[in-house]
Amino acid sequence: MSGKSFEALIPERRYEVASKITQRVVKKRETRPSISDALDQVFLHKWLGLPIFFAMLWAAFRWTFDASAPVSDAIDAFFSWLGEIAATVPNEVLASFLSDGLCGGLGFVLVFVGPIFFLFFALGLLEDSGYLARAAFLMDRLMHRFGMHGRSFICMLMGFGCNLPAIMSTRTIADEKDRLTTILVNPLMSCSARLPVYVVVAGAVMGQYASAAVFSMYVLGLALALMMALLFRRVLFGGEPSPFIMELPPYSKPLMRNVFIYMWERGVVFLKKAATILLAGALILWFLSTFPWGAGVENSYAGLLGHAIEPLLRPLGFDWRLAVALFFGFMAKEVVVEALGILYGVEEEEAVSAILANSITPLTGYAFMAFTLIYIPCLATIGIIRSETGSWRWTLFSVAYLLALAYIVSALIVALGHLLGFG
Amino acid sequence: MSKREILVGLIGNPNVGKSSVFNRLTGAKQRIGNWPGKTVEKKEGWFRHRGFSVHVVDLPGVYSLSAISIDEAIARDFIVEEKPDVVVDIVDASNLERNLYLVLQLIELEANLVIALNKIDLAQSMGFEVDHEALSRELSIPVVPTIATKGYGIDELKDAIISSFENPQPPKPISYGEDVEQAISELVEAFRSDAELSKYPLRWLAIMCLERDQTVASLIKKSSIYDKVKEVLGFER
Repeated sequence: MSGKSFEALIPERRYEVASKITQRVVKKRETRPSISDALDQVFLHKWLGLPIFFAMLWAAFRWTFDASAPVSDAIDAFFSWLGEIAATVPNEVLASFLSDGLCGGLGFVLVFVGPIFFLFFALGLLEDSGYLARAAFLMDRLMHRFGMHGRSFICMLMGFGCNLPAIMSTRTIADEKDRLTTILVNPLMSCSARLPVYVVVAGAVMGQYASAAVFSMYVLGLALALMMALLFRRVLFGGEPSPFIMELPPYSKPLMRNVFIYMWERGVVFLKKAATILLAGALILWFLSTFPWGAGVENSYAGLLGHAIEPLLRPLGFDWRLAVALFFGFMAKEVVVEALGILYGVEEEEAVSAILANSITPLTGYAFMAFTLIYIPCLATIGIIRSETGSWRWTLFSVAYLLALAYIVSALIVALGHLLGFG
Repeated sequence: MSKREILVGLIGNPNVGKSSVFNRLTGAKQRIGNWPGKTVEKKEGWFRHRGFSVHVVDLPGVYSLSAISIDEAIARDFIVEEKPDVVVDIVDASNLERNLYLVLQLIELEANLVIALNKIDLAQSMGFEVDHEALSRELSIPVVPTIATKGYGIDELKDAIISSFENPQPPKPISYGEDVEQAISELVEAFRSDAELSKYPLRWLAIMCLERDQTVASLIKKSSIYDKVKEVLGFER
């Protein structure tokens, strides 16, 4: 008997048998070095790899915003037109509901069909070409340093689309501690639902720096996720992440059919959400912000609620409207934008972003974006955290730590901004 | 009267084209649910072939059956507990060696196996010629070459499923070397006397026991022959 235990010996013997059989049944022809290998020389290069990765991400974001603009403009024009027609309905309450509630709230969100489909198109392209697997490979070393598993990065990348499937995908992580860490930090990955909030707020107050501000939210989310992962590892779990072996599929020309299916399947989730939870959100928000009838937004139920929460958020520079928006945003983060549309739209006739620009400073806007990024996972994500961790304790913990983190980070942004003379 | 309904488990490594095979086999007759008590998605489908009604269960993509991750545990429990009539293992021809690890574990489980050797076009373009007949002889398992994305070999795979159902041939055990085999056969001897354990494939139980698999270990701890097993495992030290 060799010195080895059976525990190690048996897998080794399986590998030996597999290797012997392979040698007997597979013949290898001489081939030219494949294109895949040549591409990997560049994309997985020690120094070039990461810069190329970030350049790809940046390109994907520019594509998401710039190329989708005409689509968004068209949808926007359509809803404004619809809203004007709706406002002429004779019944006053119904007219207000149709024009302020539906067109002002839901319409404000549906404009983002463009960017969301374009974002998924870009991600689908990266995925289907085989590049996304390389991105995970590149990030593996970095991830390990922050106490996470290389596989976690794939789950984190999925979080850019939606945290729900991303958290479900953590099932492929064998080690419980690795898995729990990845689940807990996943809501920090900026999902597509938060995109509308960034675009509206940054578009209103950031001027020419809007794109960069939006991009910085993604980077901020990623950085916070890594930091929190490291913290959880050190404080809560201990131990080293288990080693990671991954397979790099050969590069291939993306099949447009696959990319469109990828985009469609995920984009439709947004449309379904719009027809259900976002519609309900618009309804509730419109009701709360218009009743008691004739009282004005400030004295409506929503206004009262906002004024009640406002003291908590005042240090961050958020007024009662932003407070209401955040309060309802936990249903789904797009509701934040709906709320802005309804709360500001009900009050005045001008474009919402113009009013936003007049009523909040760039610094407040930026802090608000950061707060929206971090503050609480949406209802559906809370549900999936509960079912995947199987524990209410971890679920509540994730909600609590994200709320605290949102407050701290936004406060830091405001403080730092003042120090630097912004605001 | 023979049973006309066949239960098939579809298994394979991740990225071998398992969903393509599943879609090609079952077409539109699919149902998506959850594994009982788990949040993992369970896909099932049905097709008819040569008068048989075939019920296909798509198992999670796994590299091994060591039951560390939820996916692995689900795949393994399905094969051990549900005892599907036929297990179809989708093997990536362009990556045979790594895929064989799972094949070997399925042989240990004494599953009634059919191998779908998928992506043979990719393997060829990468310069690999896989002799599927030789592979079938080496493993004594039917091997069907397929290109699921193009629908190639799917009818042959259906034929192979039916004939494996009609003439089940448990794969021949593959030797892991004298030292390991010695320990396995001693454990198998010990397990034989326990009625509860005899429900399971004994060779597999022995190998898992030697690998110190948690689930199997707790099974054996509860059994009547725990002391004897401890004795055999004592050899190791």
